[in-house]
Amino acid sequence: MSARSSSSAARPGAGRAPAPRVPASPTRGVRVARAVLLLVGVALIGLGGWVLTETVRPTEYGGLLVWLIGSVIVHDAVLAPVVAAVSLVVRRTGRRIRPAVLGIVQGAVVVGALLSVVVVPEILAKAEGTKNDTVLPFDYGLRLGLLWLVLALAAAAAVAVYLAATRRQKVRPEADQV
Amino acid sequence: MRRLLDTLRTAASSPTRNARTATVLGRLLGLAFLVCLLTGLYSHFLQEPAEWMRFPTSPAWLYQVSQGVHITAGIACIPLLLGKLHAVFPQLFQTPPVRHPVQVLERASIALFVASSILQLVTGLLNTYQWYPWPFPFKQVHFALSFVIVGSLAVHIAVKLPLITRYWRARDSYDAEGRFVEPSRELDPARAELEATRELRAMRARRTRASAAPAPAPAAEQPGGLVGRVTRWIDGAREADDVPRASSVSRRTFFTGVGVATGGVVALTAGQSFAALAPLNAFGPRQMGLGPNDLPINRTAAAAKVLETAMDPAWQLTVANGDRTRSFSAADLESMRQGAERLPIACVEGWSQTASWRGVRLVDLMATVGAPAESRLKFTSLEVKGGYRVMLMGPEYATDPATLVALELNGERLDIEHGYPARVIAPGRPGVLQTKWLTSIEVVR
Repeated sequence: MSARSSSSAARPGAGRAPAPRVPASPTRGVRVARAVLLLVGVALIGLGGWVLTETVRPTEYGGLLVWLIGSVIVHDAVLAPVVAAVSLVVRRTGRRIRPAVLGIVQGAVVVGALLSVVVVPEILAKAEGTKNDTVLPFDYGLRLGLLWLVLALAAAAAVAVYLAATRRQKVRPEADQV
Repeated sequence: MRRLLDTLRTAASSPTRNARTATVLGRLLGLAFLVCLLTGLYSHFLQEPAEWMRFPTSPAWLYQVSQGVHITAGIACIPLLLGKLHAVFPQLFQTPPVRHPVQVLERASIALFVASSILQLVTGLLNTYQWYPWPFPFKQVHFALSFVIVGSLAVHIAVKLPLITRYWRARDSYDAEGRFVEPSRELDPARAELEATRELRAMRARRTRASAAPAPAPAAEQPGGLVGRVTRWIDGAREADDVPRASSVSRRTFFTGVGVATGGVVALTAGQSFAALAPLNAFGPRQMGLGPNDLPINRTAAAAKVLETAMDPAWQLTVANGDRTRSFSAADLESMRQGAERLPIACVEGWSQTASWRGVRLVDLMATVGAPAESRLKFTSLEVKGGYRVMLMGPEYATDPATLVALELNGERLDIEHGYPARVIAPGRPGVLQTKWLTSIEVVR
């Protein structure tokens, strides 16, 4: 690995705007803070482990471990790659769509997806059955559908407003010249 | 393998995924986790206090708010954590996976943090839906994991502190054109990120040159097969990272999306805990005002197997202080001096509702057997079995004049689902400790 000059010099076209100067090496305060955080962190992990062995039966460790590892696998090997793949497709498609329009649609999808992460388990829990009628009282599937509809309408309206505004901006200079 | 990791990392990279984004979301997430830890510990010790512990009984809404905040902050963590993991996802494909001794610690602490915090949020959320599809006890694991999470988070912050301080402020993170400023080499042991970003930039520069050149790039530099095809297909797309304006639009979209989603989950569920947000409660697992006596319930009379014993006309409440014992029928209690209070029922699952209660003040009742002040009381329910059949009450609640043996709720005789013939309601305590279907109250000696 060759010695590296300043980060901005290596970037094409970045010479025009010099990067802000920031002290590079950690100061003494940072080193002390790191040591304290590290010690406290290791102690807390140990405390958590001790509490676990005190309160959870050893026969249940296996199931807990499966769920811990499973959580990471579901996120890192399923959820995140799907999101990455979708965003790649969007980036590819993005050549033909204006960034702002793409942003509005992406934003609406992100909001809808994140809310669905919270609400879909609720629909499943209700399907499993509840202890009494005051637990999970709503029709969450219907409400989630309505939410997506509202998001779609809001995104469509935002895109329409944006397109109308930019068209007017384009038309006006020509009108001024006439 | 190395090329595959490189390709994956490049493919996964985007302008929203840099150390500044991670710092911004990390700060919010760290704060939310800390709030959850503190409110969680408060709730834990309210339910399992050490003998010497005393808790405030005023304001009466203290637990209602602290537990409402616990659940709401926990729900807010879900979009924040997913956003944070999204921002750092390319780091998963570092090559080689470990290049520095500190990095073993770093990656181990991250693995521990990610696993435990995802599981914590999943189990916490599903607990509010009363759904337990896992093979371990919720309460114990949720409590133990909270220390593991905060501990691994502290280790993670310790490792990343130079990067965090470097990108704490926006003006140090982006140049005048809105381009992300890469970390400098001295930010050890953040060298891993540095190497990753440096390699990434070199690759991009190579690719830019290749696409700028009219002649096709040498075949040797192009990865072949499916990976190569996918890379070329992606390369054909506009690289938003190299266009400052587009990349700032992309960042703004990301933060707006995560921000609106976080605000959305909070606004659309927190109405189960906070009356001001009740009209927006679209997705909360409970609704204020819904249930017998206009109040939600958790444990039903049928589940507690008290349908017959609670309706028995011969029911009596026994109050005991050592040898001094008195028994009260429902009519006896109704004929005593009644007190009225506005007190919340606040469940550990986060939902709560303030209601109007009427009944005999506990201090009046205990005075009939000459119970000393500063005494600890033991309440027993008609329940045949259940974790909260017997409840201990510290002297701070026992001597508070607002604590009632309630007979009426929201202007009606107590419904059997709410603990007919009599239940206890004390200020600032979790709902599971507001024992229903009382059968006896004893001074603990």
